[in-house]
Amino acid sequence: MNDVRLEVKNVSKNFGITRALKDVSFKINKGEIRALIGENGSGKSTLTNSLAGIYQKDNGTFILDGKEVHPTNQVEANNEGISIIVQELGTLDGLTVAENIFLGHEENFVRYGIKNTAAMNRKAGELLKEYGFDRIKPSNMIENYNFEDRKLVEIVKATYFKPKILVIDETTTALSREGRDELYKQMKKVRDEGNTVIFISHDLPEVLEMSDSITILRDGDYIDTVNSSEIDEDGLKKLMVGRDITGGYYRADYGEKISDEVVMKVKNVTVPGLIKDVSFELHKGEILGFGGLSESGMHEIGKACFGASFDREGSVTLADGTEINDIPTAISHSIAYTSKDRDNESLVMNQSIRDNICLPSLDDLANKAHLLSDKKLNEFAATYAKKMSTKMQGVEQFVSALSGGNKQKVVLARWIGKDSDILLLDSPTRGIDIGVKQDIYQLMDSMRKAGKSIIMISEELMELIGMCDRIIIMKDGMISGELSREKDLNENSLIAKMV
Amino acid sequence: MENQETNQYKPNFFKKLIGSNMLRASLPIIGLIAVCFIFNILTKGSMWNSRKLILNQIYVVLISATGVFFIMSMGGLDFSQGSILGIASIVVCKLSGVNMLLAVIGGVVAGALIGAFNGFFYVNRKIKSFVVTICTMFLFRGFIKYMASNSPVAASMKVYDYDTTPVKLGLTLVVLIISFVAFRYTKFGINLKAIGAGEKAVKFAGVRTDRMKFLIYMLAGAITGLAAFVNIVKNGSATANVGNQLETQILIALVLGGMPISGGAKVKFENVIVGSLLYIVLNNGLIMMGLTTQTMQLIQGIIFLIFVALFADRENLTVIK
Repeated sequence: MNDVRLEVKNVSKNFGITRALKDVSFKINKGEIRALIGENGSGKSTLTNSLAGIYQKDNGTFILDGKEVHPTNQVEANNEGISIIVQELGTLDGLTVAENIFLGHEENFVRYGIKNTAAMNRKAGELLKEYGFDRIKPSNMIENYNFEDRKLVEIVKATYFKPKILVIDETTTALSREGRDELYKQMKKVRDEGNTVIFISHDLPEVLEMSDSITILRDGDYIDTVNSSEIDEDGLKKLMVGRDITGGYYRADYGEKISDEVVMKVKNVTVPGLIKDVSFELHKGEILGFGGLSESGMHEIGKACFGASFDREGSVTLADGTEINDIPTAISHSIAYTSKDRDNESLVMNQSIRDNICLPSLDDLANKAHLLSDKKLNEFAATYAKKMSTKMQGVEQFVSALSGGNKQKVVLARWIGKDSDILLLDSPTRGIDIGVKQDIYQLMDSMRKAGKSIIMISEELMELIGMCDRIIIMKDGMISGELSREKDLNENSLIAKMV
Repeated sequence: MENQETNQYKPNFFKKLIGSNMLRASLPIIGLIAVCFIFNILTKGSMWNSRKLILNQIYVVLISATGVFFIMSMGGLDFSQGSILGIASIVVCKLSGVNMLLAVIGGVVAGALIGAFNGFFYVNRKIKSFVVTICTMFLFRGFIKYMASNSPVAASMKVYDYDTTPVKLGLTLVVLIISFVAFRYTKFGINLKAIGAGEKAVKFAGVRTDRMKFLIYMLAGAITGLAAFVNIVKNGSATANVGNQLETQILIALVLGGMPISGGAKVKFENVIVGSLLYIVLNNGLIMMGLTTQTMQLIQGIIFLIFVALFADRENLTVIK
């Protein structure tokens, strides 16, 4: 019995009246990679955040190596041997790489009250070298690095002190293939040293490949723990959702002819430092995919078409000749955009679901005297939130209280409410579980059939292959190839053009 | 075991009470009633008897607080209101000899111009709003001293014709009612609050946030320009100290009214009215109690701090813009 690393015992956590965790109990062993899966809002992140001191649990205990732990912040958790890599950015702007790595542990470099920056940088440099991230310089400001590199810095930050438990919360969805491989390597290293990894992911093939065992949560309840070698994807889906997932996941049709009608023409668009001389046409009723490495510039395509890019050159023209150069023009000409950075660019977090959904449609909802009635706003928001089957307490609830998938549903509800004809969806299923993913795919398919045009930018090659009529691959800010919808299209033909 | 549970329960309960919207909504009103009640007893009813005098002081604060309320809703601050009132008051005085309507328009335009000046540096030069407005506060205070130091700028005697409750109260009500409707029942208010809660996302939802921020500063200046007319009607001339510390009075009034200092979704229009009333009653009560200026400032400081601590919107931890 000595190899139990962590015992979770009757842990509960409420947010207001939402019961995020209900009396959850299970054990994790030493030298194990344990995946934690469940749909959005099932309580995975709440559990790990409570363990890492980010949230405070309401009831229950965490027993680490036979000793009860209750960290009240991340530094205390680190000292207990628990570290976490969070879903979003976990590094702080305005600090150097080294300062970020040793955040909360500066005392190791302080003598007589003075911080020895040189020693800190030297130590950070050694660590980065050890991990093989030489290109990251410890004395540089963290904001000089992109998302990907910052995640690598976080990996160093979370693992250099050989934690007893490493929590990885949904980190892989934000990483490119190389970053993922690096993370996998570190996970295996932690396990091989006899320590424990708790791994949260929505990517089931990844979960099956990487973990030794899998714990499933559903709506805050503990469901089961299974050995990864004894279960397959469908089995997991069934446990997560509580029923069989029926019907197709992606689109089923092949060989449908794309309409000749061009709804948006992008010509010689350049955004300094991000994309170079990009031209393409979007047809009516098609799903046009953009794929590539996360630094290929593909995420800027959505912004450029939405008039949101800074310093853009070239033109984006609609069928009626309107040039899109700013966001209000884009929206009034029926263009919608959902950002990869959902929490900052798509949603006003500390605001109600109602206002978030109504925001672009306020002019349409106002009466002749430009007045708005609460009743109308509430009805509008409720209609579209329900249409997207958003899990919420009511439209007055703040968006910040929702889980990732439900936030995305609010974003989509906003644009469905606006009835936009051209949808620019950047990573629409990022960090979202299968149930909601399926909803989003079906929604996209029905929109396409209704004659709406969609640009889908995604790092998940399978969904591009499964959903798109055409896929444009980006490399180093330029278009490196285009592929058409085909039954035998596979990931390798995309990757070949990406790197 | 039981003991432990009660220990855990207590702070939660207290936190819930502090964080609840009920408290946010009701405390200023309870405070207002309590303050009226307490001071009437302490002053043996003399406060009630001088209600007209007290009411007379509220117009300027109430009108100009409306503009600042809009600014604070979107997460900004404005410390230049006192100087705006001063400059606009001088303009009103100078023009009152020519034509009264022209004087009103002149005051509003002068206020709007200074507001535009603030807005330009805040929006186009991207300087934090409180830095910009502190600078303009000193800048225009300098102008006021230059123009009114030797002798106060006197208005035409005709302004006294307008020194009646219907005019002053009427103007105040017009400003309040228009502002209330615009804030509560048009997209103006929803957009303002949304900017306070998360500007970037609002921009991506199609709101021209920069233009809006600029116009709001201009609007706040214009509203204070109108308050300057009421001020001159009341006082007849502009001294070198005209409008001094109005900005602090407004800020205190709004916070007393339950306004979260970072703006955002929890802002309510009632904050302006309840807060201004509460501030004026409190102020007058303390004067009538015969307290010295120093003691009054001390007490005001403590009350202000308590209210800020109570109403700070901790979920919305963004720094004030």
